[in-house]
Amino acid sequence: MLITPAIVALQLIALSVAGTVLLAAGFAWKILRHWNIYSGSELQLRLERRTYLISTLLGFALGAELLSLLLFAQTAESLSGQFVGAMCATGVLNVNRFGFPTLLLKIALFFLAALWLLLNRVDNRGYDYPLVRVKYGLLLALAPLALLEGTVQTRFFLELEPEVITSCCGSLFSATGQGVAAELASLPARPALVLFYAMAGLLLVMGLAFRRWPQLGPLFAATNLLTFAVAIAGIVAFLSLYVYENPNHHCPFCLLKAGYDYVGYALYLPLFGATAAGMGAGIIAPFRRIVSLQATIPGEMRHLTGLALTGFGVFYGLATWLMLRSNLILLG
Amino acid sequence: MIELREVSKVFNQGQPNECRALRKLSLHLERGGITVFKGPSGSGKTTLLTLIGCLARPTAGRITLDGRLLSNLPERFLTEVRRHTFGFVFQQFNLIRGLTVLENVMLPAYPLGKPYRELRDGARALLDRFRLAAKADSRVEWLSGGEAQRTALARALINDPAVLIADEPTANLDSALSREVLGLLLGELAMQGRTVLISSHDPLVFEAVQVDRIIELHDGRMVGDSQC
Repeated sequence: MLITPAIVALQLIALSVAGTVLLAAGFAWKILRHWNIYSGSELQLRLERRTYLISTLLGFALGAELLSLLLFAQTAESLSGQFVGAMCATGVLNVNRFGFPTLLLKIALFFLAALWLLLNRVDNRGYDYPLVRVKYGLLLALAPLALLEGTVQTRFFLELEPEVITSCCGSLFSATGQGVAAELASLPARPALVLFYAMAGLLLVMGLAFRRWPQLGPLFAATNLLTFAVAIAGIVAFLSLYVYENPNHHCPFCLLKAGYDYVGYALYLPLFGATAAGMGAGIIAPFRRIVSLQATIPGEMRHLTGLALTGFGVFYGLATWLMLRSNLILLG
Repeated sequence: MIELREVSKVFNQGQPNECRALRKLSLHLERGGITVFKGPSGSGKTTLLTLIGCLARPTAGRITLDGRLLSNLPERFLTEVRRHTFGFVFQQFNLIRGLTVLENVMLPAYPLGKPYRELRDGARALLDRFRLAAKADSRVEWLSGGEAQRTALARALINDPAVLIADEPTANLDSALSREVLGLLLGELAMQGRTVLISSHDPLVFEAVQVDRIIELHDGRMVGDSQC
């Protein structure tokens, strides 16, 4: 096992998130079973008082979880010099079988945690705890993932053996390889490019329609998620080629390297942030008719939709600029 | 206007020193008028007023204000209700030492964000009404007991609350000063249509002619309720 300050920080975050979520899951179960806002029973009043403490603790823990995705990617990238065969984060994540599962769990938890934090923020602005059951229900869904992520990440770091010779992005993100990464890498560039920009157009139309017809919320949330998936596929299929100016280099992690001006961070941060904001906007829309949230949700939806469209705008703008300035001629 | 349904308050619950201050108390208080809560020390008067005034939460039971549940409100909403609905006068005055009389009176209004000039004029008008205009720039530690309680009264009214809560307002005053403070509290304020809730075991208070209702407490239970 390697021990670096970043690994220790990631493990501490995982431990505190798992501990807090586990503690809160027991409370969440009580909320789902016994919560009755019209009751003046001791139990109900105790639940009302405790929800402040629990949601505050969860706020800090899940906020740290959001940051841990960034730290994990940066740590994987920075460790690439320690392993034979690793040129970037891909090689490090390939050192053992827990690397990519950890990353995928972290991405899933990033969106779930962002959603929980948003629901908590909206719930705290209603005078009668309007979303208390929804947010604690979501917490129960999130808890097993958080525990699993903590376990898988621990196994990943424990089994990081420096003598392992790993394979890097050249073999994983290869058009001739096997698996999801290889399939993304082998996508034909032109249709992928058309789909990439078609999704941007669809998202913009959906965003404007959602502002006018809030009942389209769930559809807008789904469009955000789909645009995120297409954007990631686009990065692997063609955007990375333009950045590296190499028709065979599809790695989405080398973008995080200093040699490419850390452009990956500038692409991924708005992409992840915008997706979380857009999904959040769509998911809170169905709650806009709750009396105590009628004054809060419309403003929150507008704000989040604006954030999502701006974030995707930054991502697409940067992606377009990267392709235009590249010396690679991919589409003849 | 204010309704309590089976309200209980237990301090140090589950500890050896557990104290049941209120036991399943139900009560309906109409808007306007003067209600006095009387009873011996430890009967639950102060606890009841702190629960009604949203300074504490009950252990069980519900409190509503104009039909809206108060006792379960999240803290940020409770603060708003406290600021706009209730004015408090405490037994120990609770004035802020080091500040002047005028500053003490203005203090509860700062979070509402009124223009300073309007706020200061309002505070000066209150001090004038309570014959404290000459003391406006004096520090509160220089005041006599009666002046201090009148300052506290002015402070309680700066946000024009619908409900004025006074906890043993005459406990630290001699008879003459008590009559003076009571004259203001019971005479002038009740005529403005405010709801005045007073806890006291001072006969000067509950025998006053302006009192509309007397509720007697003992060991956290209501043992008497009489209209005057």
